[in-house]
Amino acid sequence: MSEPKVKIALVIPAYNEARVIRRIVEDLHDVFWKSSYEFQVVVVDDGSKDDTAEQAHLGGAHVIRHILNTGSGGATATGLSFAYQSGFDIATTSDADGQHDPHDVLRGVEMLLQDKSDLLIGSRLIDKQGMSRVKVLGNTGLSVITNILFGIRVTDSQSGLRVFSQKALEQLKWKTSGYEFCSEMLWRAKQLNLTINEFPIKAIYTEYSKSKGQNNWNAVNIIKSLLRRRILEFFNE
Amino acid sequence: MSRYLLLFILNLPLIIAAMLSALVEYKMGKLSRKSFVRQIVIWGIICAGLALAQPIYKFLYSNGLTQTEPLSLFDVIQITGIITVLFMANRSRIKLEGLERRLQDLHQELSIRLSNDK
Repeated sequence: MSEPKVKIALVIPAYNEARVIRRIVEDLHDVFWKSSYEFQVVVVDDGSKDDTAEQAHLGGAHVIRHILNTGSGGATATGLSFAYQSGFDIATTSDADGQHDPHDVLRGVEMLLQDKSDLLIGSRLIDKQGMSRVKVLGNTGLSVITNILFGIRVTDSQSGLRVFSQKALEQLKWKTSGYEFCSEMLWRAKQLNLTINEFPIKAIYTEYSKSKGQNNWNAVNIIKSLLRRRILEFFNE
Repeated sequence: MSRYLLLFILNLPLIIAAMLSALVEYKMGKLSRKSFVRQIVIWGIICAGLALAQPIYKFLYSNGLTQTEPLSLFDVIQITGIITVLFMANRSRIKLEGLERRLQDLHQELSIRLSNDK
């Protein structure tokens, strides 16, 4: 009797990405069809004002629509919660602006299965090729701050490409709903003694993804929010 | 009655309430042991500071470390007000965070169920 296939949820949190989301979903389909895994692309439409949900559906994704816009952290939490409730063995998250290569997502899944990590981060900063200096500086700065505040050493704490084991899906919960969830998630994983590892990925920057990417000034908001969370939890954990 | 004693008597119920609330949260498993100890230590320091306000002032004044006037009735009211606000703000924050969490969970669950029903 053949072994049951590993079930993978490919989660994409999306907000106003109607222009590209269908292609992103189709690209993931193309790569994963050739693999031996059972998979489902799950797009979490975070209250978009355009037809992101319809486009994702046309691409073949299972679409979860948020009634309210909650932020990237909230949309990711919904996608991963769906993956856990639906009995997936592994879940991945990747950005909806097309900056991640679907082959890197597949590679991440294979690495997680091999090294038995609980949380695998696709780092754009191991091989910085293609990244602008401003982005390298912003992301490195946030990784350093994540290290100072939470004691977690990773090269790219803000990467959207992540792979989760079933244990991580079951246990990982975070409180912030904006972009700061990237660092908070690592902190929670550390508190839960989950194994965190990194693997190198290449970021694909197009004119579109550059226009959709985070403004470096948003780093100030992220740091403020992380500091607040760190101080508050000093008293109430 | 001494103003220092009045300051202590007015604030003691708030400090006891804060410590009791931390103890209840800890016993109900909503607060970790570490955080419980931190809260007790902080409120304990506030309590000790108020109880020892007069000897501390006398020590500082006699050693020339402060030139301020002794505690006035206005100071008593002001310090009590600050501690009351601190107590209330902490309680409100805990409640607000709980509500925010529940709202997020509700929104998440609702979105997933609606997508499954389609």
